[in-house]
Amino acid sequence: MMAKCGATTRHGKVHIGRWLACLLAVVLVVPLIPYTFADKPGNGNVPNPGAELWREVRQREAPTVGTTQVQGVDTGVLINVRGEEWRQFRMQTLVPVSGMVLGAAVGLVALFYLVRGTIRVPGGRSGQRIARFTEYDRILHWSTVFLFYFLGITGLVLLYGRFVLIPLLGPEGFAVTASACKEGHNLFGPLFFVVLVLLFLEFVRSNIPKWVDVKWLLKGGGLFGGHASAGYFNGGEKIWFWLVSLFGLAICATGFILLFQNFDQGRPIMELSHVVHASLAALLIAGSFGHAYIGTLGMEGSLESMTTGSVDANWAKAHHDLWMEERKAKGLDNDIVSQPQAETPENKTAPGYQT
Amino acid sequence: MFAEFVDGPFWYFSVTVFVVGVVWRFLAVLRAGRRPDLSVARASAVVGAIRTNLSRFLPRREIAGRIRLPVVAGYMFHLGLFALLLFAAPHVDFIKERITGFGWTPMPHWAFILASEFAFIGLLILWLHRVLNPVTRLLSRADDHIAAILTFVVMLTGCLALFQSFEGLRVLHLFLAELLLVYFPFSNLMHALMFVPSRGYTGAMLGRRGIHA
Repeated sequence: MMAKCGATTRHGKVHIGRWLACLLAVVLVVPLIPYTFADKPGNGNVPNPGAELWREVRQREAPTVGTTQVQGVDTGVLINVRGEEWRQFRMQTLVPVSGMVLGAAVGLVALFYLVRGTIRVPGGRSGQRIARFTEYDRILHWSTVFLFYFLGITGLVLLYGRFVLIPLLGPEGFAVTASACKEGHNLFGPLFFVVLVLLFLEFVRSNIPKWVDVKWLLKGGGLFGGHASAGYFNGGEKIWFWLVSLFGLAICATGFILLFQNFDQGRPIMELSHVVHASLAALLIAGSFGHAYIGTLGMEGSLESMTTGSVDANWAKAHHDLWMEERKAKGLDNDIVSQPQAETPENKTAPGYQT
Repeated sequence: MFAEFVDGPFWYFSVTVFVVGVVWRFLAVLRAGRRPDLSVARASAVVGAIRTNLSRFLPRREIAGRIRLPVVAGYMFHLGLFALLLFAAPHVDFIKERITGFGWTPMPHWAFILASEFAFIGLLILWLHRVLNPVTRLLSRADDHIAAILTFVVMLTGCLALFQSFEGLRVLHLFLAELLLVYFPFSNLMHALMFVPSRGYTGAMLGRRGIHA
């Protein structure tokens, strides 16, 4: 009796076990059946139940704004389709074209140097120094230079870093560099705006275009022979001034739109701002190569005007003859900062001596 | 490995050098003594010391116009740096954890940004003035340039590491700050601690003779 009862119990346990195994199999297998049929060729017309939902979410056809408790611009948009258009433009147009512009600028400057070399002071140096820029002018200029190139380098790292720096630094190294550059770019951007406004106010009066500047441009600035007359600033310098001022202000304005995201400007405005910001910055950086070249390596005596504040009289007569005539007409001989000195071992080692 | 070195041994080394160096510099000044002034005092030396300490915060009227830019830049830099050093949130946390054991209310993020903008542009203008003005250029030594550049990169790396997203940036900032601590006692950066006794000595010496310095 006991044996029969034990056998019945064991049989019952096996029975329940079989039922549980069957149930488990059903639970696991049955949900897979639709997928098995769906994968068969010829069943492509079975709609994906999620397709309609995601089509609506992406809003390919029309920008439908959903309902949300979060208040703000674009908060009702789950996926911004325009963002993909902006990303494509950034990767496929902005990055390669701006890279080509910058490369071309470097190439042109190098080519010009190879063809023309350093332009010497006609007639050699006179030794007589003429005051040209005040200390305030020069501090303003070099502050702008520092901030411009700091922002330029950090901006280029953010634009090209993925292609240029990841192979060199690896993804983690680039992440650190990009984070640092972003912080630095955001921090120094407003300072650039301040110095740019001060620079504009300081130099705008001397940079108002005149007819003589057109003639200077038509003569190619005398770079290819002949003499091109110029006032305090020549036509090329004035073009650079207005480019820096107008492009610079546009870059600052778009930079502020990108920086202060708390003013509800929305994604489309920020995407447009980014494109304008990066494009104008690339053009300005390319232009700065030419400005930096002609102010240093390209023309003897130019850099001194921004380091010492004075220029050689022969340099001034050659490149800014109308300014010299204007000075003479006004009787401004009191801003001659030094007269020619005989070259002796003593004055050659003196601090003020310049070759 | 480098992070552990910067956070541990080099931190203690730099603080030790800073403290010992500063004490040594003050002792050197005190040991130099002063020449006895046998003349009859025309006015109070103490009043002279206090007056000079306060009056030197503003430029003399005769030269105020000529040095307006470096004076304004000087205030922008020093006040900005002071605010960053003592009231930046990461600094307050650091001082609480490593030095004092207690903290205080840090300044808000917008104030941090404003203070750093002031400090950066102020330091940049001061350094450019040093380099571009023929007189200050002649008076400057390598020490002045090293101190300015070191201070600048310490501030810069601090701002780059502001959000503390990456450990490497924090370590770099701390390492440069420690280098600055080591360099401090042996450089013109000592003016940060010496300006009060220096002005006081000049003011007392001249004040005793009845001169408003």
